[in-house]
Formats: sequence, structure tokens, C-alpha cells
Amino acid sequence: MLPYLLLTPALVLLIGMLYPFGLGVYYSMTNYWLQYPNRFRFIWFDNYISLMGDDLFARALTFTLEFTVVAVTVQVGLGLAVALFLHARIPGRAVIRALMLLPLMIPPVITALMWKIMMASTNAGILNYMLSFIGVDPVNWFGSTQGAVVSILIIDTWGNLPFVSLILLGALQALPTEPYEAARVDGAGPVATLRYITLPLLAPYIILAITFRTMDSLRIFDVIYATTGGGPNDATTNLSIMALQYSFQWYQMGKGMAQAIVLLLLVVVASAILMRLWNRAAERTAQ
Amino acid sequence: MTSVNKTTLRNVAMFVGAAVLLLWTVFPFFWILLTSLKSPGDIISVPPKFLFTPTTDNYAALVLGEQRGQYASTRPDFPRFFLNSIIISVGAVALSVAAGIPAAYALARFNFPFKNALAFTFMSFRFVPFLAFVIPLYLLYQQIGLYNTHGGLIFAYQLITLPFTIWMLRSFFQEIPTEIQEAAKIDGCSWFGVLTKVILPLSMPGIAVTVILGFIFCWNAFNYPLMLAGRQTFPVTVGAIQFISYEQVLWGQMAAATIVAALPQLLLSLMVQKYIVRGLTMGAVR
Repeated sequence: MLPYLLLTPALVLLIGMLYPFGLGVYYSMTNYWLQYPNRFRFIWFDNYISLMGDDLFARALTFTLEFTVVAVTVQVGLGLAVALFLHARIPGRAVIRALMLLPLMIPPVITALMWKIMMASTNAGILNYMLSFIGVDPVNWFGSTQGAVVSILIIDTWGNLPFVSLILLGALQALPTEPYEAARVDGAGPVATLRYITLPLLAPYIILAITFRTMDSLRIFDVIYATTGGGPNDATTNLSIMALQYSFQWYQMGKGMAQAIVLLLLVVVASAILMRLWNRAAERTAQ
Repeated sequence: MTSVNKTTLRNVAMFVGAAVLLLWTVFPFFWILLTSLKSPGDIISVPPKFLFTPTTDNYAALVLGEQRGQYASTRPDFPRFFLNSIIISVGAVALSVAAGIPAAYALARFNFPFKNALAFTFMSFRFVPFLAFVIPLYLLYQQIGLYNTHGGLIFAYQLITLPFTIWMLRSFFQEIPTEIQEAAKIDGCSWFGVLTKVILPLSMPGIAVTVILGFIFCWNAFNYPLMLAGRQTFPVTVGAIQFISYEQVLWGQMAAATIVAALPQLLLSLMVQKYIVRGLTMGAVR
């Protein structure tokens, strides 16, 4: 009985959260439209069915998935490279490591605004100015469809690369030394050592980093909202932005909520798959 | 190639790599700091200026709320936003720690049915898309009068801090050897005595880390207050985007606002450096 008693305050808060969530699930099966409260009606899965024929929804879903795959690949790939680089004895490693925490800890929306200032589309923007030295014409960062996608990728990477790097650097520093000594005795080169010793030992941590980054990339919102707002031409509209537009610009709460639920299901499926991978990798390294 | 040359080459490559990494990490902060010290003319100059006469106008405008070209009613009230951030973050962390300590103790030290299911239910909230909660919360808050209140935001922030607090505290509590607890029990301590005389004193550093990181996460929150707060309760994150209006973007003041909004984070994160990765993975990586 005692443990449940200890858990009571937290459980009360949990139920307090589950109630609005349940209400939201119910709303997703209604045509709730704030401007026309009188028409409120329970419509079963009509919102979900109508999403299937919705062109913008298809694009938002595609963008959500594509962005996640690209962002996670780039961030985990670069993060691993940075971790390996810092693990070698680099001049000023402690300083770099401490400074890398800063992008990680400031609010993502603030990160977005900082880059928004640097990515001004004219030559007054410092980024375009610096690129001009290597012969790149001014980039219309947020105004063109491709530029907007790349901008968001850069901003998100700046903020989250340290997360991956620091997890993997920590893991590298805690690796056992025996396999490396054995490899040296066997005459293995650096590439073979990386491929057959370091990467397999790091696997659980890499999957952990992938898991966290995937969850966050699927739901990315702050950076897009503060920079492109989903534009231009809906090029950077993901499911979060779309659900937000439906519910808080057009006040179609039912439809917006249905989109949020689809995103939630996506996150649940992704986390189930990744958790299974993580468990398997952790077991394999433990052996 | 001789081995001396090879080592030199390697050192040069290392040095260049370190410089690039440092520049990539620090330059944005440096540039925003410069921008926040520029007059409007210097900000839009082509090419961008590295040397200019610094001005504190942007910070003064931030503190005093003075802005040309904007109506008083739409003027971002940054000191108030800063205060809101503090009130909401402190409130949310306090509530989470109060509910989280007994919960984490139960999950760390007792065995009971549904223990793991419960622990993972708490954790799963960390990964939930905010819109699934914010849409119904918005409708609910409008009805019961919690919209645009600190209390309403503190409750909504539990989605951020409660799962984190429970998992972090649990991981710290689990590090305390059970022998100490058993010894206390033999000395006649009840579960409450064990908690207050053994677990809490021994995990004070862990609790401090949890509080600081929880505060940082609350301070960073943007999406919940964007939907659930109004002008009277905006935190700094939502406040900072108020410098973008239909009339104009106040770049200088926005830069100053981003510096002010990020500053507490920069100081706090240096304090808890060692624990940040652990915090961000909810105790999974130590």
C-alpha cells in the first residue's frame, strides 16, 4: 500500500494530464469548430478519413518523415565524427566540450532567432557575407523552398549536434581498453579498430542518440514556427505546424486534434521500434 | 613522407578541426552579442560591420520598453516576461519536486505490481507531441479560467518537468547503497525516517542537479506558453518573438532579448556541466 501512497501526488498530476488528453482524443472524433459551436457533432473517424485525401496533409506527413530521416542521419553522423575527433587528444578539448553545452541548453526558439538574424537574405546577413568569400551567391535562406528546408536543418543541427557528440564522447571515454590492446597486438589499423571494436561497443549509445533525436525531429516545432512559420508555400509545414494552423488559425479543433493524434501515433511507433533496437544492442554488448 | 612531417600534418589538421568546431559553436553567440550592441543603421549595413560604435540603446529599450513606431499596447514588456519565466519555472519545478520525491523513492526502493508500467508511463510523456495536450488544455483552460494564468502554465509544464524529475531522482536514489538504508531500519527508522534521514541528505547534490536542469527545461519551453499564455503571462521565449511584428522586425532589440533570455541558461548549464547528458537522457546515460 505504501508505495502507492507515495505515488499519489504524482498520479494525481498524471491523471490531470490524462484527462485533457482523453478529451482531445474525443474531440478528434468530432467536428468541433470554435466559430460554429452549435454544429458540434460526433463524427467517428471522419476527420481521420478526410486526412487521407488531403493534399497538404500528405505533404506535411512526407516532410515530417523526410526531415526526421535527414536530420537524424546528419546529426548522428556528424555527432559521431565530432565525438571521435574530441576523443583524440585535441588542443583545448575541455574548453570546446564546455562551450558545446551552450547551444544545447539555450531555448530552441532563441537559437532560431539568433540564426534568423545571421541568415538575413541580403548581404547584410553575416552568413551570406561569409559565404561570399568562397564564391557563393547570396542565399535566400527563408524565402525559397529549398533554402527554408536547409536553414531549418542547419539551425536544428547547431542546437542538437552537441547532444549526440557529448553522449558519444562520454561513451568513448568509458570504453574498456583491453579490446584496443588486443587489436594493436594483432596489428589492426585505425580503420579496422573503428569498424570492428569502437562502433560495435558504441552501438547502444548510437541507438540511444538516434532514439532521442528521432523523437525530437518528428515533433520539431519551435525552430520552424520562429523562422519560416511553415512556409514558403508550405514547404516546411510538418504535422505539428499543420495541426497548429488548423486548430489555432482556423479554429477547427477537431481536425487539428486528429492531426496531432496521427503525429502521436507516429512517435509511438518510432519509439517502440527504436526501444527494441536499443535493448537488443545493449544485450549484445553486455555479452 | 617522413614520420616528422606526418606528425606535423596531423597536428595542423587537429588544430584546424578544433578551430572550425570552436567557431561553429561560438560564433553565433558572438555575432548576436555584437548585433545587440549595434544601432539600427549598423545592423543593416552592407557589408556587415565588425567595428562600430557600440550602443546600449537596445538593452535600455528592453528594460524600459521604449520602442519607436509601436503602439504602447503592443509593446513587448520584457521585464515582465522575465519575471513570468522565473515565476512559472520555479513554480513548475517546485511542484514536480514535491510530487516527484515520494514517487521516485517508491519507484527506486519498493517492489509492487505495475511498477515498471507506471515508470514508463511517466517517461512516455517526455516524448508526447505537445499539440495533443495543448489543444484540449486550451479549450479546458478557457472554460475554467486557467487560460493566461501562471497556475495554468505551471500545471501544463508538469508535462515537461514531472517525467524528468521522477526519472532523474530515481536514478540518483538508486545509487545510494541499500545497506545504509537497512542499517537505518535496524536502528528503528520508519520509511519516512529512511527518506528524510538517509535518502534525501545523501542525494542532495542529485536533487540540486535535478532542480537546476528542470528549471532550464522550463525556461526553454516555448510551445505550451505560446498557446496557453497571454501578454500578461508570456515567458521570455514567447516574449522574444514579439519583436517580429507586421510593421517591422526590431533586430537589435530581438538580439538583446535573445542574449538576456539565454544568459541564465549559460550560467546554470556551466554549473551542472557534468550532469547535462544524464539529464537530457532522463538518467539513461550516466
